[in-house]
Formats: sequence, C-alpha cells, structure tokens
Amino acid sequence: MHVSMIELKAALRRCFEATGYFVGNYEDAANMILWLEKHGLNGLSELERALPFIGEDSTKEASSVIYEDSTSAIIDSNGRSALNCIAASVDLAHAKALENGIATVTVHNCHNRMFILKALTDCGRRGISVAAYWQNGSQTVTEHTAAIKAGERYPSYSEATTTLSSNEEDKQALTIICSSRVDLTSSLQRSKGNQNARYISAKQVELNKEYSVDNGIDIDEALWAQINKIGEGVLVENNERSRQGAGGR
Amino acid sequence: MTTPAAIKAALRGDNALPLRPINQVMDLERLGAIHQSRLSFMRTLVRRIMRERWQIEPARFELDEQGYGTVVYEINTPNKLYSFVLFSDYLSPDERNDRVIATKWDLTMALVDGEVDDLYLEKLRQNVPKQEAGRVDARVFVLSRANRSARNFDYVVDQLANSKQPDVAQIAKVGYLYRTTAVYGSGKLGMADWEKVASRHADFARPFAAEMFVCLMLRNFSLLQAEHIAQHKAPESYNPMLPEIKRFFGIGNSTGLGMAPYLINHPLLINQWVEMRELALARVRVLGNINHRIQQQFPELLERCAVHTAETVTEDDWQTANNQQVLKDLDAIREHTRNGFDSWETLLQWSEKNCSLQGQEMLVSVMLELYPELVDDLEDYHTAEEFQDLDPIMPLQELKQVIEDRYQWALSFDFAAEGAKDTFWYRSEEKMEPRLGNARDEDGKDKEMALGVAYAVRRCYDQLSEYMAENPEHSTARFMVAQPKLRGIVRRIQSMNRCIYGDIQANLLDREILPMHLLRAKLAFFGVGKFDPRSKLWVRNTMFQGAPLLEDIGKTFNDDWFMPLAPQQQGEF
Repeated sequence: MHVSMIELKAALRRCFEATGYFVGNYEDAANMILWLEKHGLNGLSELERALPFIGEDSTKEASSVIYEDSTSAIIDSNGRSALNCIAASVDLAHAKALENGIATVTVHNCHNRMFILKALTDCGRRGISVAAYWQNGSQTVTEHTAAIKAGERYPSYSEATTTLSSNEEDKQALTIICSSRVDLTSSLQRSKGNQNARYISAKQVELNKEYSVDNGIDIDEALWAQINKIGEGVLVENNERSRQGAGGR
Repeated sequence: MTTPAAIKAALRGDNALPLRPINQVMDLERLGAIHQSRLSFMRTLVRRIMRERWQIEPARFELDEQGYGTVVYEINTPNKLYSFVLFSDYLSPDERNDRVIATKWDLTMALVDGEVDDLYLEKLRQNVPKQEAGRVDARVFVLSRANRSARNFDYVVDQLANSKQPDVAQIAKVGYLYRTTAVYGSGKLGMADWEKVASRHADFARPFAAEMFVCLMLRNFSLLQAEHIAQHKAPESYNPMLPEIKRFFGIGNSTGLGMAPYLINHPLLINQWVEMRELALARVRVLGNINHRIQQQFPELLERCAVHTAETVTEDDWQTANNQQVLKDLDAIREHTRNGFDSWETLLQWSEKNCSLQGQEMLVSVMLELYPELVDDLEDYHTAEEFQDLDPIMPLQELKQVIEDRYQWALSFDFAAEGAKDTFWYRSEEKMEPRLGNARDEDGKDKEMALGVAYAVRRCYDQLSEYMAENPEHSTARFMVAQPKLRGIVRRIQSMNRCIYGDIQANLLDREILPMHLLRAKLAFFGVGKFDPRSKLWVRNTMFQGAPLLEDIGKTFNDDWFMPLAPQQQGEF
C-alpha cells in the first residue's frame, strides 16, 4: 500500500515508543528506518529483520565505553539494535573528531548496522566527514561501507558478497571513522572472491530521495499492519471520561 | 526585499534590533494573548493571491437544487495549475458532529496538484468523503471537511430567496455558514508530504498556506452554495447577496486539543514564527516613523479593534472578561495618545505597565498593521529546518550553564508541589485523538505523550549534576552514551539554545494548565478572529472574515481586512 513519509515516521515512532524505546531514541529509530527507505536503501526490509527482536532492547544493558583515548573509543552495545544505540556512538566519534581532527570508534555487539546511514548523513550535513565499515552474515559474509563528505547531504554506499569466513568478533562489529579535517570517501576494494558488488553514489541516493518525495512510500500491507499493531500500545482505552478529556460535549 | 543575512544581523550581534526579552515573549499566557496580524498566514496568503491575480474558475459545477453534488475549481497561479475538489452530501442533523471522531460531514474537500479528469475524480469520490477512513495519493496535498451552521445557513438562504439580504446583526453573532472541523495536510492519509509541498508547489511553500487556501475556497463555496440553493428555491424572488455582506462572512473553525501537541513537537518552527513577529515589532519600534499619516491611522485602527472586539459574541465568561478588558485597554491607549505621541518604544513600555497582556498584544498587532513596508517582507521567512541536533562536543559544564540560563523558568517549578504533575496528555484509541487526563484518578499516565518539557529539563538537570560530580571533564557525547534516556531532552535543550526565543515556557503537566493558550497562540499565527471558547479544551473561531472574495481578484486591493467590522446596512433587509 501507499503511505506518505510522515505517516510512516509517525507509525514507526509509536511502534518504538510502545516497544519501550525512550524519548529521543524512538524518534531516532523512526528517522533511521525512514531515511533508508526514502533514499532507496531498503529500510523496511531491514526493519522486518529487526522487528522480532526490538522488544528485547529494553531488557539489555545500556551501551558501555570499554576503551577510550583522545582519538578512539571501543563501545559495547550489548546486543542492542543500531536503532537503539548507534546515534550515540556516532556522536562520540563526531565529538572526538572535532577535538582532534580525526577519530575512530569501534562498536561491538550491535545489530542492524545498516541503520547507521542516517546518523552519518546528519554528520555530513553538519560539516563533518564520516565513513563506516561493517561485515554481516553467518553463512555468507557480506561487507558494507558508507561515507559522506563534510557539508554534503547524501552519502555513498557499497556492499558486496565475500568468500570470507564468518567470525564472531566481526559479525556484530562496526568501525566508524570521523574527521573534521579530511574528506573521507569509501568504496569496497575489488577483493578476491567478492561478487554482487553494488556501489550507490551520493547522486543516486539523492535521486532516490527525489522519487520518494514525489510519490511517497510503498509498504507491504502486512508490515504496515504489524507496525501499527505494535504502535497501538501507546493508545489509551476509550471511555466516557476520556472523551470529556478532549473537550467534547 | 529583505535577505537572510539582513535578518540575521537584525536578530544577533552588534547591530541587532531591540527584541523583547525571551521570558516575556515565550510565557504561555502571553502567547495565548496574541492576535491576528499582517504576518498571519491568512493575510500573507491573500496578499499573494491578490497580487499575483490567481485565476480561480469552476471547471466542473454539478450541484442539484438542494446544493448537493460535485464541484471542481481550477486554480491557475503563476507557477502551476491546481484543482480544488469538493463533494457536497446530505447530512441529517443528528449526524452533524464537529468532533474529530465524527464519520460524516456536509462537505468534504481536497486540494490536488494538476487537472482532475473523470477517472481521478472517481478515485477521489471513493475516498475524500470518508476522510480518515479513506486513502489518497501524493497528488493530493490538503484534505478537509466542514459542517453547516444549520440555523445560519437556512436563514441566509431564506433571506436571499425572499428578495432580502441577511441581517448583518445576525451575521455578527455567527459570522459563517460552515465550520471546518479538520484541515489535514503534510502527508496525512497518503497525501503529499510537506517536503513535497515545500519543494514542488512554490505557491504553497509557506507553513499552512495550502491548508489556509482550502479554508478560503470553502468560505467562497459556502456563499456560492447558499445563493445557488436560494435561486433554485425561488427563481422569481431571489436576490444575490451584496458583496460587502458577503465579505463579512468568514468560515467557522472548531479547534480542539489536537493542535496543542503540535506546538510542543515543533519548537524550532514555532520559534521561527515568534522570531519573525518580534523582529517585525523591533523594526517598527526603531524604524517606524510617526508621521501625519500614522497619527491619523493609529486611532482609526484602535477604534476598529474596539468595534471588532465589541462585535465578538461568546458565551464563555473567561473570554467575555478578556474582551471587556481589551476594550478598556484600547480606551486607555486612545486616551493616552489622544494628543499625539512620538515614540513607539515609549508607548510600548507604557502599555506594559497599564494594559493587560491581551491589550499589549493588540497594540503590537496594530503597530505591525501600520507599517507594511517594514513587516511584509518577513512573510517568506516562516519555515524552519527542524533538525534537533546534538552538540556532541559541548562540555558538560557548558550544558549545565545553558540549562541554567535558558531554562531557569523550568527549574523554577516545584514539581513536588500539589498538582504540579497532575495533568497528562495522551492519545486515545479513538482516532488517536489527543486528550488530557488527571493522573490522580485516571488510567493512562504510563502512556502519556512526552509534552512535559519543563519536567524533563528538571530531571535532566538533576541527573547531569549527579553525573558531573564524577565526570566533570566529559563531553555531551560521552554523557549521552552513559545516559541514553536523556538524549531527547539534551538535543532539544541544545537546539533551542541556538534559537533566539526557544521553548514555550509553561509546565504542561500542571493541574491548572490552560491548553486554550496553546490553541490560541497557533490560531493567532494562522490569523483567526472571534475566539469563542466552548470549554478550556476547545474553541470556535472565525477565519477569513472580511477577506476579499474570489470575484475581487484582479480588482484594486488595499490589504486592509485586519479586524473586520460589520458593514453598515441601510433600510429594510
């Protein structure tokens, strides 16, 4: 079915609010999903993969900084979804880059890392260049990278299937490089065994956005129903007393 | 013509104009006391239509004798062609309900990009009359519905059918034939997002311009329909309505709590609106020359405001008292300036000591009205990019200082006091309608909307102070990793600190909170008049009263429909 971007965002906000995400986080989560979908990068497919697990985020420990110096940090996300915690990791990289010119933050135990693209884009818009790299998958390992230049509004994104073997360390890890001095760009090398490589330029990302602005978003009805069903958790049951609370007579 | 650079220089820095203080301007009660002005969205829209001479013609006019059927207007602007599509259906009196939760209406409308052919019209017919129960596509960018003010409508039809004009005294009581009960834009129900409207439809790229346009078209249709029915009822004796009486008809509006969360959820946008109004005032205070023309116009406008206020009919005691007070204030200003005056600055200061908030803000609107050359060019600066960005590098000491400087008003509330957290705002499962509850005796507080900004600031400040005791050297980014629950409020605090005016200053959780102030503030920016509160939670008002008619487009236009008055009526009507 067809929905507008704001409808999708509002439904997602309710969905994550009902799931136990807190103020600030549920907006971030909604914005991250919408951003990917709006820019032609399959935000709703990513969400479908994440949905069965988002309810668990509120029971997991908060992210913790397990190592830090002036230009780097290692953060353990404790198995949370990027929807729930990645923005804060990007903020930390951003702060360190502003202080020292360039910074690296590595995040461990973080799911749905594709959602980082919205946070990267926010950095670019605000005059900081960022690149990110991560691997995904147990059977078949894919690798991913995205980058945005300082002052730009759209990032580039690359992905490829590899012949790498999966290792637990890399599986839920993500590396963020951030600079206030150097414009970072990233693309995957033509490594041996890479296939199905896909590079989406910043220009293409922009064109995808223009299409969404013109036409809105198409969403699978079952997924739309599921998002709204979860979101009903923020609604309060109706009764005569509550009707009066709207000023009706 | 002004420029962003000129605006920036007038707001900040060595050469800034004298703006009114933040704590004065952002006080909720004062925001709830402002009135329509030259910068209100209805005024700016009408200026654009009249100056650009939009061509608005019916492309399809299929109404039966009772006024039921389908009408499509085509709107040709300098940029594009749009269609205004209206469905008029029979509604029994017992089905007529102004609440958001209603499911049927007398009229339903859509504003559409481009021409509407038969196929697309049919698609609209299947959905527009259903409103929230229907779906539209991204060609549509406003949906609305309206209900007749039955007594007024029938009376007007009868008068016209009997060779008479409507009695102006009666219209002064209820100045409209229809009330609109919701105007949806910005992506609701599948419509075009604001991002599309702002970037693709230049004619409507100002906040709420498209929504206001639909209300203007509705006002026009209400008059046309009344005449159409009267003419069919009595073709021999029918008389069309006099234009000056037509202009005195506006369109009614019922606004409930739904509007209130918008102001809290769009603080950067609201700040922008306030900044432009205050900048306009500052320009007048400093640059507004008080010459012979102004000395003559000023008392005339005060008189007009007084008559307009006196003509405002309300059964609400609180509003009646407000209106009476405004009349006293206007008298006092007139008396004070009877022998002339030579400084807006001095007069403004005098009003702050001698007039109520409503009177003070009425004076502000009058000042703006007198200087179109200083005010009107700010109409193009009412949009804002609504990014609430975290400043990750800000040291925590600075963040604490920002809260103390900019949110002293929030820290001053005693949240442990009786009633300080009794109110909660929530969404009902009935069409997600926003509602108010009392935390002491109603369920639902666990699902409240995050509108208690003042309380969130207080909690943030306390936790920040605690954290700083152990980590005084940390940055905001580091604090956010440790305290992710505060991310929303910290981002807001930092973003609003980058604004001139910032957040609305009120504890929205207080037992005594008056949502009416929030509604009034937004409605005043829209440009409505004749506030008629029906409770502390919803208000009736009138839009576009006194505005030019569609048939006035292309004729002379003096942009002088501020605080419209009932026309003088001669002889028998």
